[in-house]
Amino acid sequence: MTAHALSLRGLTKRYQGTVAIDDLTLDVAAGEFLTLLGPSGSGKTTVLMAIAGFVQPTSGDILLDGRPITRLPPEAREFGVVFQGYALFPHMTVAENVAYPLRVRRVPPAERATRVRETLELVQLGHLADRRPAQLSGGQQQRVALARALVFRPNLLLLDEPLSALDKSLRTELQIELKRLHGRIGTTFVNVTHDQEEAITMSDRIAIMRGGRLMQMGSPAELFERPGSRFVAGFLGRSNFLNARVTATGNAVTLDCLGVPLHQARAPGWSPVVGDAAMLALRPNKIMVLAEGEDAPNVVSGRITTALYAGTVMQLVVETPIHPALEVSLAIRGAEGLPAEGDSLRLGWGLNAAVPVAPDAAA
Amino acid sequence: MDARVKPADDDNDCRAIQLHCIRLLDASRDERLLLLCAGHPVCKKERALKSLPKLDRYWLLLVPVVILLGVFYLYPLVRVLLLSVTDPEVGVGNFERLIIYHGPRRVMFNTFRICAITTVISVSVAYLLACVMVHAPPRRRRIMLALVLLTLWISVLVRAFAWLILLDDNGVVNNTLRAMGLISQPLALVRNETGVLIGMVHYLLPYAVLPLIAAMQSIDPALIRASHSLGAGRVRTFLSIFVPLTLPGIAAAAVIVFVFSLGFFITPSILGGGRVVMLAEYVSVTVLEELRWGFAAAQAVVLLVLTFLVLGIAGKLLGARRILPS
Amino acid sequence: MKRVDWTTLPFRVLGWMVLVFLAAPMLVVFPVSVTPNRWISLPSGGISFSHYAAVFGSPDWLSAIGQSVVIATATMVVAVAIGTATAITAWRMAGHWIIPALRVLVLLPLIVPTVVSALGMYRVWVDFGIFDSWAGIIIAHTILATPFVFLTVSASLTNTDRRIEQASRTLGAGAFRTAWAVLVPAARPGILAGAVFAFITSWDEIVVTMFVTARHIFTLPRMIFEEIHDNLDPAVAAVSAMMMLVTVAVAAVLLWRDLRGTPAASEKP
Repeated sequence: MTAHALSLRGLTKRYQGTVAIDDLTLDVAAGEFLTLLGPSGSGKTTVLMAIAGFVQPTSGDILLDGRPITRLPPEAREFGVVFQGYALFPHMTVAENVAYPLRVRRVPPAERATRVRETLELVQLGHLADRRPAQLSGGQQQRVALARALVFRPNLLLLDEPLSALDKSLRTELQIELKRLHGRIGTTFVNVTHDQEEAITMSDRIAIMRGGRLMQMGSPAELFERPGSRFVAGFLGRSNFLNARVTATGNAVTLDCLGVPLHQARAPGWSPVVGDAAMLALRPNKIMVLAEGEDAPNVVSGRITTALYAGTVMQLVVETPIHPALEVSLAIRGAEGLPAEGDSLRLGWGLNAAVPVAPDAAA
Repeated sequence: MDARVKPADDDNDCRAIQLHCIRLLDASRDERLLLLCAGHPVCKKERALKSLPKLDRYWLLLVPVVILLGVFYLYPLVRVLLLSVTDPEVGVGNFERLIIYHGPRRVMFNTFRICAITTVISVSVAYLLACVMVHAPPRRRRIMLALVLLTLWISVLVRAFAWLILLDDNGVVNNTLRAMGLISQPLALVRNETGVLIGMVHYLLPYAVLPLIAAMQSIDPALIRASHSLGAGRVRTFLSIFVPLTLPGIAAAAVIVFVFSLGFFITPSILGGGRVVMLAEYVSVTVLEELRWGFAAAQAVVLLVLTFLVLGIAGKLLGARRILPS
Repeated sequence: MKRVDWTTLPFRVLGWMVLVFLAAPMLVVFPVSVTPNRWISLPSGGISFSHYAAVFGSPDWLSAIGQSVVIATATMVVAVAIGTATAITAWRMAGHWIIPALRVLVLLPLIVPTVVSALGMYRVWVDFGIFDSWAGIIIAHTILATPFVFLTVSASLTNTDRRIEQASRTLGAGAFRTAWAVLVPAARPGILAGAVFAFITSWDEIVVTMFVTARHIFTLPRMIFEEIHDNLDPAVAAVSAMMMLVTVAVAAVLLWRDLRGTPAASEKP
């Protein structure tokens, strides 16, 4: 089926005194899996509800393949919606739930039955067609909600925190399934979540929202490796933030961080001037523990204050001159000879390990 | 620790502290004081050793109600119901008379019929009102609810009398319709079954509205949104999603209205003009005027059995619905 | 930008019409009560309070009103006492097997059709010698009113923290002391509501009253009932108007708090 592109242009939603969505402009490419990611109160669910047609924007437009649909009521938009809590009709069986949108569209019974069966097979629930929602587990209910939203071949699939009610193991399993489903049917997916791990695993692109505004948009890798702001760097994965002052510029930039010299590669969009204050985001997994005699462009000594064993990594908190509690994620291969609390060590990282970020404007 | 909780003298004696607390409690009735008292370290230790007595004196609080309802209610009920098979002779003669004779059979049939019609009308009208109320903005809804509840409090006599005035041949309704030229002869709206139905529906409407409102408000709004998102318009959503989900409420309302209406006396008596005799009034006449205790008791038994039957069926149905996943 | 919802407008209009049907008919009693005529009619040539004067000047009416007031007040007091005590025990002993049976017993007068209750009481009242007596009517009304008190007080108690009762007991206060000092204050809204329901139940009670009283006890509802059947006098309208005002005033006082503050409506009687 053909995929559709969605555009939001200057979308704004104001409630009594609060701005839930603030001049939001973004494009969802046809067939992509986009996730709106943000903390609670960031407006992401409001955006989804506006796209679905349940919230009327105060100003701005929503365009489907270039056509404005802002005034269209929800029942005319042909968007599939998977609600938080699934909203399965309790008085209907699974099959009847999935058949509902087809009945509404007056699809003849024979074709209806076929499509219901096919869609249920797609989500691996064919054997539960005659059960009622209350008899199903959370994961199964979620799949019924998906089937129901997909059976009428919608222009777009909207998902409102589809995995939040499930426990961890189920979540990981369903993340993979959703991704696979997306690959198979090719419909444009717009997902909303506050779980950054979920966003990174499933999405083609992520739009990070905060306070109703779009902070940054890009592929998971782009956002992870090159966060534009302190907020994004801290929201997506963990990050150490180093405050430094620029002391010299040349092929690389030299900074002074509380007396320790640091070296950072130049980056497009960053034009430091000597004397400027700068903030570097350094992810815990980019820091290496240096052995005797080993060297690196950035070297710092410290003492381990906390050492947590986590199977495949050691999570260390190190007291250093540049940061009182520098987080270091050390990949390990066994349980022998691991660093312990109180140990002194030398840490190092390369010119491209850290990322200069803009400090946030007042939240 | 709140300073009030410390007694004046020896504060190592838990008993002294307890008495002090009880005195404070009597004076201030402050619930929080209780919790503070209970947390006093001296008493905590003592309390750990004691346990509450087995035979709780709370049971004594039940003595009045047991006497009241046992001696003055249950006993009379049982006593009188037994009369149905002992007076005037032992056996089921009274029940036979109920079935064989045209008079009582007619009364029972009419009662059942009128109650059924009342139930259908009441629940239908109540459904409309409940729908409107549930979708109204909160402040307006509160006013509407207050109006509904207010009418519940008005005496059945006053209501029947008011309808009598309104529906009489020379009453307000007829006079208004005649003045507007819509009719030339007064409509016979009272002292007949029509009047009785109007009066009964009027009385029972609030009893139907309340469970319906409860049922409607318990519907998850996400289900309505889901229906819209799947392409269904308002009418389709209403018929396919909303109404089916209110079915338990409809059943509850119907049961309540029907069971209440079975025992109706005053309204049919005043608004029926003697032409509409329902079972309750028939019982009254049988006893107070004809002094036929056994026969009256038999009718009472029928009333009682019908009441419990309907309640029982409803209980099963509604209970079953809760078990049936839906 | 408020848009008029045309599709639902007819339904909303109908809904309000139903409300008018529900609440308005009783209003006709007021104009009829001030009709200058001596028969039931709407006042067309000015108003007259002669019917009110007739009622309040008539020893029969006054006696009936007085009796009703006394009986309703007594019923209220006794029903509140018994109903509250029962509700407290039912709440405190909630897990015990006998409590559901107790609930059925207490609610029986509500479920059983009134005429059946009346039949039973009539027979036994005569046997006990309390037919047509103050004690008899008060006991009868109390039986009918107690279930309401039980329901409202129970509803109040469901929101009460059980630990309050436990704390009181561990401090040495016995069951009765705790009930009085701790639980009664906690259930105050329910007790007040129950008192109002009890009063109104007795004030309006007619069916059972018809059976267990004769001439000595002659309450207001009984007098109204007979007047309606015998001769339709506007005096009945005057009395009805007065009865309604008493009921509505009492109910409004209770609902007032609900209308203003709490969004939850009071439970149905």
